Amino acid sequence: MTRRHVIIGGGTAGLNAILTIREYDRGASEIRLVSAERPYSRMVLPYYLARSITESHVFTLTPPRLAELQVQTHLGRRAVRLETAANRLMLDDGTGLEYDDLLIATGSSPVRAAVPGADLPGVHSFWTLAQARGVVAQIREGSHVVLVGAGFIAFTILDAILALKARLTVVEVAPQILPRMIDRTGAEMVERWLTRHGVTVRTGATLTAIEDTEGRKHLRFRQGEDLVADVVIMATGIRTNLEWLNGSGLRVNRGILVDDHLRSNVANVFAAGDVAEGRDLVTGQPALHAIEPTAMEHGRVVGANMAGRDVAYRGSLLMNILEVCHLDIASFGAWDDPTAEAFAAARPERWAYRKLLWRGDRLIGAMILGIANDLWTTNDVGMLKGLVQSGGHLGAWKEHLRRNPFDIKPAFIASGTTARLLPETTLGKPSVPGGQVV
Amino acid sequence: MKVLRITPERCTGCMRCELACSYVQTGTFQPARSVIRVSPFEGHTSYAPYTCTQCAEGWCMTACPVEALTISPVGAKAVLDDQCVGCKLCTIACPYGTIFYNPETQKAFKCDLCGGTPACAAVCPTAAIEYVEAETTDWLGGFASKRVLRSHEGQHAMAEAGG
Repeated sequence: MTRRHVIIGGGTAGLNAILTIREYDRGASEIRLVSAERPYSRMVLPYYLARSITESHVFTLTPPRLAELQVQTHLGRRAVRLETAANRLMLDDGTGLEYDDLLIATGSSPVRAAVPGADLPGVHSFWTLAQARGVVAQIREGSHVVLVGAGFIAFTILDAILALKARLTVVEVAPQILPRMIDRTGAEMVERWLTRHGVTVRTGATLTAIEDTEGRKHLRFRQGEDLVADVVIMATGIRTNLEWLNGSGLRVNRGILVDDHLRSNVANVFAAGDVAEGRDLVTGQPALHAIEPTAMEHGRVVGANMAGRDVAYRGSLLMNILEVCHLDIASFGAWDDPTAEAFAAARPERWAYRKLLWRGDRLIGAMILGIANDLWTTNDVGMLKGLVQSGGHLGAWKEHLRRNPFDIKPAFIASGTTARLLPETTLGKPSVPGGQVV
Repeated sequence: MKVLRITPERCTGCMRCELACSYVQTGTFQPARSVIRVSPFEGHTSYAPYTCTQCAEGWCMTACPVEALTISPVGAKAVLDDQCVGCKLCTIACPYGTIFYNPETQKAFKCDLCGGTPACAAVCPTAAIEYVEAETTDWLGGFASKRVLRSHEGQHAMAEAGG
C-alpha cells in the first residue's frame, strides 16, 4: 500500500521535508500538504517590502511545482485536532486525513504588546504575506514609521523602510536594542550606527497606549514624550502555534519535544521548525530555535526519516544575521552564556566588534559586527560559524585569539577546521539542489 | 570531479589569482572582490590561497530560502542571480566563510570554478593552484599549522629576549 505522509505547514520546514521525501522516493508515496496560506518564504518578505522583488518572487511551492512534486494540497485550511490513536488529522472544514506519518510544522505567530489600541487599523504586524501587503500599501515617502520592538524581526525590515524613504523611529522596552541577539557593547555600537543613518532609537521605552487621531497614531509611553506616527509596526515577539494540539497527548514543553530523529513521543508524528524543541548543537540540551536555518535542517531530516531512512540530527546551531545600513551583525551559539570565558575586542572607528565565547579550548559562541562591504567581515562570519559548529579543540589557537580576537582566519585554517567540516553532511550524503528534485 | 588543488608550499604570494578572479567574476581588477583569498603566514614570509571547496553538504545551497543556489554542470555550487534576493542566509550558513555578498548588486557571490576554466589556476605561475581531477581535501591545514606555530615560537623567543 502506498505510504501516506501528511505535512502541516507550508513554510521552510514543510517545504524542505517535501523536497527531501521526493529526493528519496521520486513520487512513490502520497504527500498531503495542509497550509493556511499559499506557501511562500517569510525570509524574503522584507525584500518585497523594499520593492526590490515582486510579490510573485516570494512563492515557493507554486501550483506547477506542487504538481511536479505530486503533492496534494489543502490550502487555506487549518489543522484543528490530532487523533494519534486513529492516525487521523481533522481540518477546520471537517475533513479527516488518515496518515502513516505526520509532520507538524505549524510555525509561529506574532504577538502584539498588550496595550489599548494595539488592534487599531493602521497598527500592523509584519509576519505573514497578507500583513506585508498591508504595510507595503501604507508606507509612503516621508511617512513616519514607528517600529515597536527592536528585536531580530523588526531589524529585518529596517533597511526596507529606509529604502522607501520613510522616517523611522524604533522603540524598545529593554534597555538595549537586539537584546536577544547581541550584548550591550555591540548594541551600543549598532545604535550609534543607526543614529548616524538617520534612525531615531529609543530604548527602555514602555508603550502604554496607542490612540487614533484623525488617521495618525499617537503612541504614549510610561516615560518620555508621545510619538505621532503614520504607520505603526509591532514586532514585539512571536509565539509557537501549538494550542490546537491540546488533548492530542503529544509532549510539549516550550515546543513539541522531539528526539534526535525529530520524532515526538508518538513515533509516527514528527515536528520541525519553530514548534519543535530539539537538541541544541552546542549545549546538547532541548531548545526552541525559531530561526530559518533550523527549520530548513529539521525539515530535511524529517523528510529523510519519513522516506524510510534512518537519519539522526546532530542538533541545531542558534544563529542570526542582519544587515542594517550596510553594517553586518551576527551571533552564533552560546553568544550570551554568562558562565563562558569571553574574549572581546572593538575597533569603533571601523565599526568592528568581535566576541568569542569559550568552554575550555572550544569555541561555543561568537558575536561579530563589521562593515558589510568588507569581504573580510563576511569571511569571519562564516569561519566563526564553522568554528562553533565543528566544536574542535583549538589548543594554542585559543591564546592566539585571546591576543587578537580579529585574527580568525589563520586560527581557522591552521587548526584543521576545514578537515573536520568536509565530511559533515546533514543527511549522510551530498546534497541535491532543491530545484533539481523530481 | 575536477577541483582546485592547492599546494600552498608553491605559493609565492604574487596575488595574480586574486586579480584574475576579480576580473573574471566582476569585470574589473579589484582584489577586494576576489573569491580566492591569499593569506599570509609567518609575518608575510609564506602564503596560501583559500577558496570554496565545493563541499558535499553545500551549506549555502541548502540554506537558501528561494533555491537561488544550484550545482552547475562542472559541479560548482553557483548563485542564480535572478533568484537571489540578497538575504545573506548563505553567508551565515557556510562554515568556511567562502560565500560573499555584494552590496551594490545585492546578490551573493562565490567561486563557481569560472564555469570550468578557473582563472586563478590559469594565471598561477607556480602551479600552487591547479584544476585537476581529485578528491577535495583540506589543502592548507597542515601547511598553516606548522607555519603559524613557528611564528608564535619566534614571537615568544623574541619576547623572552626582550625584543
